[in-house]
Amino acid sequence: MPFLELDALSKHYGPVKAVDDVSLSVEQGEFISLLGPSGCGKTTTLQMIAGFVDATAGRIRLQGRDITHAPANTRGLGIVFQSYALFPHMTVADNVAFGLEMQKVDRAERARRVEQALALVHLDAHAGRYPRELSGGQRQRVALARAIVIRPPLLLLDEPLSNLDAKLREAMQFELRTIQQQVGTTTIMVTHDQAEAFSVSDRVVVMQSGRITQIDTPYEVYEHPASEFISRFVGKTNLLPPATANGPQRHIRPEKLTLKPAGQGRSDATVVDRFFLGSQWLYHLESPLGPMVVVQVNDGSPAHAPGTVVALDWDDATLRTLPEGSR
Amino acid sequence: MPRNGSFAILFNTLVVMFMLAPLVIVCLVAFTPENTLSLPGWNWSLRWFRKVFEHPDFVTSFINSLWLATVSASIAVGLAVPASLAITRGNFPGRQALEGLFLSPLVIPHLVLGVALLQMFARIGATGSFVWLSLAHVVVITPYAMRLLIAAMTGYDRSVEHAALSLGASRLTVFRRITLPMILPGVSGGWLLCFINSFDEVTMSIFITAPSTITLPVKMYMYATESIDPMMAAVSALVVGLTAATALLLDRIYGLDRVLVGQR
Repeated sequence: MPFLELDALSKHYGPVKAVDDVSLSVEQGEFISLLGPSGCGKTTTLQMIAGFVDATAGRIRLQGRDITHAPANTRGLGIVFQSYALFPHMTVADNVAFGLEMQKVDRAERARRVEQALALVHLDAHAGRYPRELSGGQRQRVALARAIVIRPPLLLLDEPLSNLDAKLREAMQFELRTIQQQVGTTTIMVTHDQAEAFSVSDRVVVMQSGRITQIDTPYEVYEHPASEFISRFVGKTNLLPPATANGPQRHIRPEKLTLKPAGQGRSDATVVDRFFLGSQWLYHLESPLGPMVVVQVNDGSPAHAPGTVVALDWDDATLRTLPEGSR
Repeated sequence: MPRNGSFAILFNTLVVMFMLAPLVIVCLVAFTPENTLSLPGWNWSLRWFRKVFEHPDFVTSFINSLWLATVSASIAVGLAVPASLAITRGNFPGRQALEGLFLSPLVIPHLVLGVALLQMFARIGATGSFVWLSLAHVVVITPYAMRLLIAAMTGYDRSVEHAALSLGASRLTVFRRITLPMILPGVSGGWLLCFINSFDEVTMSIFITAPSTITLPVKMYMYATESIDPMMAAVSALVVGLTAATALLLDRIYGLDRVLVGQR
């Protein structure tokens, strides 16, 4: 029996199918990401699990219990909101203690667990502060502590890192994953950021127009996307002409292409532009196969200047064909 | 905080002076020993203050006004909180119409309301009733509370309430522990505004107060139509003094910023 099971879950607003026939099984301790562009139904799905949106059809089962229409305040789930949703008129410690107070945990035990949760997110020194006195990253961690202190069976994260700046976001990704592994809570995260989904999740659920289009490990989603849409959503891709007259389209990722001296590859190409990304060079090339994007590791050797003629080469094993009509 | 330019400081000083000047003058006049409305020269006197307390009906009307303002402001806020909650977050047909209805007393002249209520009170035998007078005031002052509360509630992040719900709080607990404290500046500001408007109301009250329920502004108005002497100034000075004292006290205990703006 799966830990959490979504069974043909749907949410319709009039004729609009915000979530359409979503089925998903989550194992205990798993970290799952719902990934997709805005409006794909990922947030609505999360809100149905949380109990803030009532499902039109389908079932939600948690540990075998049907919670499809259970009120939100009886589900006992830990939720981290995009806006953090901290209680502005309470101190950090009171914010974290709120859930325990609702569970009527006695005062001494409450204080002990609040302290523990704040230590876990490295905020023990800020217990007496008010949310407005904290930085974005600190608020984020208070929200996380408040959600996990009640020891929920399931942790729901709604775009938890989208309000942080890039550097902090990356640091928090790792911290989030570390904390999740320490406490072992089954987690579902909603995000539109593929890098975020890939770096922390065990499995990624790709959603598009209210439906699930792929469920796989991050590596598989990137290497074997189920459609051209997914392929482009999770990374850059180059289209190669079919090998045979009626053959399928072939795709290759920019980092799988290599640049060689002119005439020594499968096709010559001219460098149109190059972008320095620090650890990598990003080239835009023009070739008889069409426009190409290539990413090369910055290994210290000089970059190819625009106008240079080079040769493209690749390993056939890295070519991907996508199912017909998979857009 | 950005520093103000000298022009801004000058402008603000002028505005404040313009607003305070009549109050200062009326307070000065209250201390005159003369029989006419004149500024006291070198001689200051408390005779007009003494005269106020020789008129027990002034004291009674002052107490009437205090009670009336307290009761009607509390009822008005009690109505305005659920009404503005429904209007700002509900999604039901007639929401706009309801908001318009609640705010409509703002555009009806108090004179018209006074005449209409006078006839109604006479017909239902409510003349001289403190309860009906309070209800009439509630009608007139509720829009002020509504305006402040709607402003306090728009842009309010509902996910904070969702967070409390998800942590196991009942709807009542969410309101008591989360919603109410967050809109408290709107509630207290709204109450204060209602209180002031009720205390200050004269146009409508002239028609619907009876000798037993007469309010201070009505009493003052009636007195002033008969005789102009510095006792009016003394009454005004007393009200100004009392208001200032209340404001100071509130600021000491809570901080006015916190009550009206929501900063701590």
